[in-house]
Amino acid sequence: MSNLLQSIPEGRIDFAGQKLVDTISKIVLITAVVISFIAGFALQDIRVTFGLFGASTALLSLVVLPPWPMFNQHPVKWLDSKGNGKEKAS
Amino acid sequence: MHSIFSRINNVSALLSSCTMALLAAIALSTLVFNADPKGDLAIASIKVYPGTTRRYAKTKQDLAFVNFNITADLTPLFHWNTKQLFLYLEAEYINAQGVKNDVVIWDRIVRRKEDANINVAGKNKYNFRELSASFKNVPPANYSLKYNVMPYVGYLTYGEIAKTVEPVAFPRSQPRV
Amino acid sequence: MFTEEIKAFRRLGFRHVLLQALNFATVIASGLMIWKGLGIITNSESPIVVVLSGSMEPAFYRGDLLFLTNPVSEQYKTGDITVYKIPGADIPIVHRVLETHDVPPKGRKAKEAGEPASQLMLTKGDNNYVDDLELYQGLQWLERKHIVGKVRGFLPYVGYVTIAMNDFPQLKYALLGVLGLLALLQRE
Repeated sequence: MSNLLQSIPEGRIDFAGQKLVDTISKIVLITAVVISFIAGFALQDIRVTFGLFGASTALLSLVVLPPWPMFNQHPVKWLDSKGNGKEKAS
Repeated sequence: MHSIFSRINNVSALLSSCTMALLAAIALSTLVFNADPKGDLAIASIKVYPGTTRRYAKTKQDLAFVNFNITADLTPLFHWNTKQLFLYLEAEYINAQGVKNDVVIWDRIVRRKEDANINVAGKNKYNFRELSASFKNVPPANYSLKYNVMPYVGYLTYGEIAKTVEPVAFPRSQPRV
Repeated sequence: MFTEEIKAFRRLGFRHVLLQALNFATVIASGLMIWKGLGIITNSESPIVVVLSGSMEPAFYRGDLLFLTNPVSEQYKTGDITVYKIPGADIPIVHRVLETHDVPPKGRKAKEAGEPASQLMLTKGDNNYVDDLELYQGLQWLERKHIVGKVRGFLPYVGYVTIAMNDFPQLKYALLGVLGLLALLQRE
């Protein structure tokens, strides 16, 4: 099964990208809740609330889920394998 | 957040907590609206005829026929979390055996604010019969119009719109002409 | 195909597998505890139910979630929406109370003991034209003992997952299988 999973493109992003995604989704979702609640309450229409919330969720997943290049600008730089080749004798 | 699967997982976890919070906020916001509109209810006439019902097809029994007038403005009950109103007219009486009876004789579902200005001259929708099959010696009954607000999300509320000032007596059973 | 998984198991070690199993059991046990605890608080054998039929439309649609209570001290009133289960019927029914008749306890002894009136009820679905007599399977009236609870709160659509699982059993097994595999193979 893991072979199967590995064959699907996983859309990996780097560590800085992960942090960015985390922050973006938190901010967007919480503001979406607050704004859609206030808008719906002000207009006295619950459809406004769920429309706004649904739209912002769709937009968020479009921004956050695909591995856009902006989430891959800080690739991990591994050290050369040469220097680590020697093992210290104890 | 490394792969797309873990991102979907994390975002949907956050999304479900946010949705829960939003739904809870909507349910709680209903507390602000505590309109309790009143209206008028008048019983125009009551007749009692012998008849049969599906339930007791073979027993001889009395059925009461009630004509009533209702006027009420229920638009204040419609707020952003009101899905529909359920209106019902019920008769309450305690018969000679001490049985307390509540019988719904008419109801209506109101789904839009535009339809919430109620002005009905109607008669009972449902069979109105006594447990003992006869309205003889049954004390006068009170009639009241009640509502149930059903929300999109949250809890159900109930209230009373109107009640007859004095109990209305049942007339003698008369043969149907 | 499963050689990888077996390898993963070996690498994780026996203790780790046990720990995962324990985690899994904790999740199930706490779920059961919450359910039973709610049942005690609300005095209802199933405090949350999913609407299975359309007989209360447009109030409740299939898949809506209802929260019930069944207070001991309270009598049911007309207009209350109740969930009841007739002995012999497989599924509970959600319908509105149309008539109540509180018959006082018979005999002076029972009266002095302050026994509550036994309540006879008749229900009807908002979307049905006639009352529920035919659903009662030969009973004339609904009684307190048949009633699971009174609807207090409402959450739309959420229960649709369970209906989907009932309609398509494959979905249920697929979901259970995937969840089980994930729980066992997750490496934290």
